[in-house]
Amino acid sequence: MSDSAGVIVCRDVTKTYKNGSLEVQALRGVSFTIAAGEYVAIMGPSGSGKSTMMNLLGCLDRPTSGTYLLDGIDVGTLDDNALAAIRLRKLGFVFQGFNLLARTSALKNVALPLFYAGVPGPKRLAEAERRLTEVGLGDRAEHKPNELSGGQQQRVAIARALVNDPAVLLADEPTGNLDSQTSEEIMTLFARVNAGGRTIIMVTHDLEVARNAKRIIRMKDGVIVADEATLAVY
Amino acid sequence: MIGQIGQFFSEAFAVLYGNRIRSLLTILGLIIGVAAVIAIQILGHGMSGAVGGILGSLNDKSFFLFPNARQSDVTKSFIKIRDIEAVKLAVPNILSAVPAGSVQRRISVGHAHARLALSADSDVTFAAVPLIYGRNISKDDVATSAHVAVINDNAYHRLFPAGGDPTGTSIRVAERRFVVIGVQGKPTQGIIPVSFGGDVLIPYTTYEHEYLRSRPLFAARFVVADATRMADTESAVLDYFRKSKGGRVDYQTFDRKSFATSVDGIFGVLTLIVALIGAISLLVAGIGIMNIMLVSVTERTREIGVRKAIGATNFQVLAQFFVEALLLSLIGCGIGLAIGLTAGWAVNRFALVAISGIVAPIPWLQSVAIAVGFATLVTLLFGTYPAFRASRLDPIEALRYE
Ligand SMILES: Nc1ncnc2c1ncn2[C@@H]1O[C@H](COP(=O)(O)OP(=O)(O)O)[C@@H](O)[C@H]1O
Ligand SMILES: [Mg+2]
Repeated sequence: MSDSAGVIVCRDVTKTYKNGSLEVQALRGVSFTIAAGEYVAIMGPSGSGKSTMMNLLGCLDRPTSGTYLLDGIDVGTLDDNALAAIRLRKLGFVFQGFNLLARTSALKNVALPLFYAGVPGPKRLAEAERRLTEVGLGDRAEHKPNELSGGQQQRVAIARALVNDPAVLLADEPTGNLDSQTSEEIMTLFARVNAGGRTIIMVTHDLEVARNAKRIIRMKDGVIVADEATLAVY
Repeated sequence: MIGQIGQFFSEAFAVLYGNRIRSLLTILGLIIGVAAVIAIQILGHGMSGAVGGILGSLNDKSFFLFPNARQSDVTKSFIKIRDIEAVKLAVPNILSAVPAGSVQRRISVGHAHARLALSADSDVTFAAVPLIYGRNISKDDVATSAHVAVINDNAYHRLFPAGGDPTGTSIRVAERRFVVIGVQGKPTQGIIPVSFGGDVLIPYTTYEHEYLRSRPLFAARFVVADATRMADTESAVLDYFRKSKGGRVDYQTFDRKSFATSVDGIFGVLTLIVALIGAISLLVAGIGIMNIMLVSVTERTREIGVRKAIGATNFQVLAQFFVEALLLSLIGCGIGLAIGLTAGWAVNRFALVAISGIVAPIPWLQSVAIAVGFATLVTLLFGTYPAFRASRLDPIEALRYE
């Protein structure tokens, strides 16, 4: 398993977008703690700041104010290279639109993070193949993304997100483009990943999907309006 | 790290191959530019070889004297035979001085006959070609205005088609007879017969007596004892003539070195033109590559976002696009190199060698250096900015890009 735990602490995090004279306050002071191995769903209406939150948690952006500690590291103080290193080692991303590289085989897509981590070629492909087999696509290694169904593409994306053994898996509407049956398959996969000890944070609109998580954080207008264990609510 | 570089190259190749038509169109300018520069460069080498070949018949101990063409009345500067006799005594380092130029005569031996050029020579021969039969003109021949002749390879084959040693045989020039005393071998270089002598060389005294009579000469040729003092000797000769003609007339000299220098001047201009073509094609090709790379970066904004989200550093993204530009220019310059070498080699082999008989070596190293230099320069100048732009994209905005 990963050398890091995947503990997330946010304190009074705000994010303000500035476009010229126009300012949008996407997050207005968000605080929460996510322990290692938790499985959290973030819900809320469109524009409530979920994606902004995910971008911050994913170290793609820095908060305007407040602190975000990932395994004790204050992300707000890091430079671009340090952020890239954290994304590479500690975090895995799954997107709504899969975001696989077109014209690149499933295997090579999965191997990409290993390349950036400096893993040598043969080891890279062997490891990528193992991950593909784990998500049930061992026989599709040479297929290009456009030769795979949406569910299969998302599974390739999950294999890619996990290939560097991250402590945290971040998913922004991972089932948004999938039908309900395929969504269930992806959720089964997530449950397995979480059972392996990884922290999962997932944004979703779908209550059925959110139910797979053990905790639901609800947002509205850039603040958290509810934060409860899933079992307590349903 | 080495493995990463290899991976960058193989990925870049896959991208360029995926867009092969576009890639090819992009590097067309580079191909043409590099091919032109390399072909012309090889041609330059071949031509200096060819000039060397043609000049093979002009040895480096001789020079010519003739009137400067840029004067109001050239006829005033014509040289008299007694002038060159006098200058020979007045200026040190001159071994011989004879009238230059030749006369065309019908010459026959038995049934064989040919129109050939007769010219003057002395006991210190001007010719650079060794004899295959007989001897050269002697002091005695000069002193006695003997009717003897040294014939060159051309005259030998036309007058003596049967071959064999012709020395001692008489040849008839109009009503006169000359005894062949020597035969020159084949000129070692060049098939253009730029022999500054004629086909049939006779003692200059005989030449003067038979053909020149008292008419003025247009030019004279000199052989010096010490080639290293050639320039001094030439200016001494010019001085002598200027003084003896009251400073009003103008002569000039011409030797192998001055010919080579003027040829070098032409090559200098050629080189400048090549450099200009090179610079322009570099610019045009570079702008083309920069344009395509910027388009590529824009098209692949989302991909860049994904790579960054996955953990690629700015430098790794920069390297990816830089390597793509580098590979593009390397391929372009490589193809240009191949075409340029082939074209240059062909022109050398089939035209220049035939003219000069000299096989100039292909400047491989220089050609490869030019191609690699071009590729590097184009990449550095025009590939860096698009790669830099890619590396500085904001990952969130890049991921949102449609
Ligand atoms: N790059 C940006 N520039 C300006 N405003 C933005 C930007 N990204 C998001 N916003 C705004 O911030 C708010 C929150 O957006 P977002 O986090 O995407 O919401 P959600 O994912 O919950 O729909 C919205 O009002 C949105 O318009
Ligand atoms: Mg969103």
